[in-house]
Amino acid sequence: MAILIDQNSRALVQGITGKIGAYQTQLMIKYGTNVVAGVTPGKGGQATAGVPVFDTVAQAVEETHPDVSICFVPGPYACDAVIEAIECELKLIVAVAESVPLADAVRMLSYASKRGSYVLGPDTSGLISPGKCKLGVQPHRLFSEGPVGIVSRSGALSYETAKMLTRNGWGQSTVIGLGGGPVWGFTYRDALELFRKDDLTQAVVLLGEIGGYIEEEAAEYIKGNYPKPVVALVVGRSAPPGQKMGHAGAIIQHGKGSAQDKVQRFKEAGVSTANSPKEIPAILKEEIRS
Amino acid sequence: MQLYEFQAKTIFRKHGIPTPNGLIARTCEEAVEAAKKIGLPVAIKAQVLLGGRGLAGGIKIVKSSEDVVSVASTILRTDLKSEKPIALLIEEKLDIAKELYCSVTWDYPKKCPVLIASSSGGMAIESIARDRPSEVVTLLIDPYPGYSQYVGRHLSARIGLQGKEVVTFGNIVNRLWNVFREHDAELVEVNPVGVLCNGDMVAVDAKLTLDDKSLFRQKEVIDEMPVVPYDGKGLAYRRLRAKELGIPTYIEMEGEIGVLSDGAGTGMLTLDLIHDAGGKIRVYCEMGGEVTPELMEKTLTTAANAGNVRVVLVSLIGGLNRMDEMAEGIIRYVNNQKSKPQIVVRMAGTQEDEGRRILSENGIAHYDDLYEAVQATVNVKS
Repeated sequence: MAILIDQNSRALVQGITGKIGAYQTQLMIKYGTNVVAGVTPGKGGQATAGVPVFDTVAQAVEETHPDVSICFVPGPYACDAVIEAIECELKLIVAVAESVPLADAVRMLSYASKRGSYVLGPDTSGLISPGKCKLGVQPHRLFSEGPVGIVSRSGALSYETAKMLTRNGWGQSTVIGLGGGPVWGFTYRDALELFRKDDLTQAVVLLGEIGGYIEEEAAEYIKGNYPKPVVALVVGRSAPPGQKMGHAGAIIQHGKGSAQDKVQRFKEAGVSTANSPKEIPAILKEEIRS
Repeated sequence: MQLYEFQAKTIFRKHGIPTPNGLIARTCEEAVEAAKKIGLPVAIKAQVLLGGRGLAGGIKIVKSSEDVVSVASTILRTDLKSEKPIALLIEEKLDIAKELYCSVTWDYPKKCPVLIASSSGGMAIESIARDRPSEVVTLLIDPYPGYSQYVGRHLSARIGLQGKEVVTFGNIVNRLWNVFREHDAELVEVNPVGVLCNGDMVAVDAKLTLDDKSLFRQKEVIDEMPVVPYDGKGLAYRRLRAKELGIPTYIEMEGEIGVLSDGAGTGMLTLDLIHDAGGKIRVYCEMGGEVTPELMEKTLTTAANAGNVRVVLVSLIGGLNRMDEMAEGIIRYVNNQKSKPQIVVRMAGTQEDEGRRILSENGIAHYDDLYEAVQATVNVKS
């Protein structure tokens, strides 16, 4: 098994005819992902990389029955595309676009949780279950099959860590990029819930960053009650404090969000912490053996 | 996009939020002229983006024309937290009986907007929020049913206002909300809202930050905004310039190493590893996931020209970004720049074989392992 996607997943690509969408669709198909349909309004009836293109998500769903979607629609239009996919009952939507307006991101994410769909992102690298399915933009050569689940805010940091694990003989069950924030649909907590029940996953590597709130949420969830070893790495230890934005930010955050604070919370939750990806293989060896 | 106070106030006025009479001045002569038009005494306020301006000496009340000259020239010359004022805002000095606080921003964990207000406005608002939290009221705006006009009055009552004050402050809150929604703001803040002796209320200060990702639909307001040409060479200028070039993150520190990354997570990891290896960062640029060869070249140029940069580490592990394109950008930079700091490249990810081939053919050393690249960077001697 793996979580969220595997060899049986049927993928829809929204924005399949754009430069990035078309190129990444080719790479996903080459990897073995079963891409059943694409959507680009106005290009229905065409084909991209051998995949039939539809004008609307509803038509694509009716004809090809996808169960997951990856959305390459650019930021200004991404909210509309994601809501269209939610309306068509797709339960996992990967929102790749980097520049989704904040108000739009909040709108689509609130709607997704109301309707029980997972939205990964926005500004995410997607997810990959190595050897089975890739729904994202990862450089897949760095990944390998195995027992470690990885969940990361940053796509690049998940590649870095997967590369390190692969080199040391630790393959991965599913690797998930949550996206750049400052708001997220799918979070560490959701990933931990799914990894908990997954037979293939023996340990979870959680890659966090300074700022935001989802690492704290994850530590709270793990506290004293998680059946698998978790290794956490929080980057940004040496970063200078962010530029201050008025008093409002300080009033709401109450000084939370530093790397030190997050690491402390993970330690209190019984999570092993690493200072960089290099330390993770040895910790896994220790944790999985014990 | 953070706006200057004078820019934010033009937007406030369009939305019916009262502000003090004010004029912008770029020189001492203009300041004297402005003070004459407005009438002494006046407040002279440095136009800077960084917070804590008042405590840093960027706001002064003056009573005579001679004082206008000396205070204006002092403030114009002062580096407020390494930022030179782009201009001065000369405003009428109001008699303020009471100071209130109001802001609208996002509560990210709850994914909804939040209104914050207090009857204790002024520079101590953060310590009041920490020490006497009951004096700072926060109110979340549920997307369903959304905002209603009563919310402003409700918030007024919650901070202890009564009668006519409830309506006056409520109107200001409602209009700040309109600014927040209509202009895709991340933050709208007024500290203080000044209550005058006759009960009128005025936005004495104004902070407005627009969401960078929404600027494409705010063209009109940005085009109409007054601008002051800025030809400084300071940090604020370099930061602005980086933003104009399309570099999402530009941070300066005190060291001598430049770092470029194509992801926030690996960028921060790279900074941590350099720190652990005893290196000190001068400048950090994060380029995001849609980097063209042009952006690569421009970012390298920007980092190399930040001043005091001995070596630049380009830390790449691309998914969306193609390493062949990144290599092309690096080569362009190397060919177009005559004197430059040494470059160390770490390259992995999409199209890495092709990218490395291009670098090798052009005689640029590169690493596959991030740790080795960091060590090589720190080892570079001036």
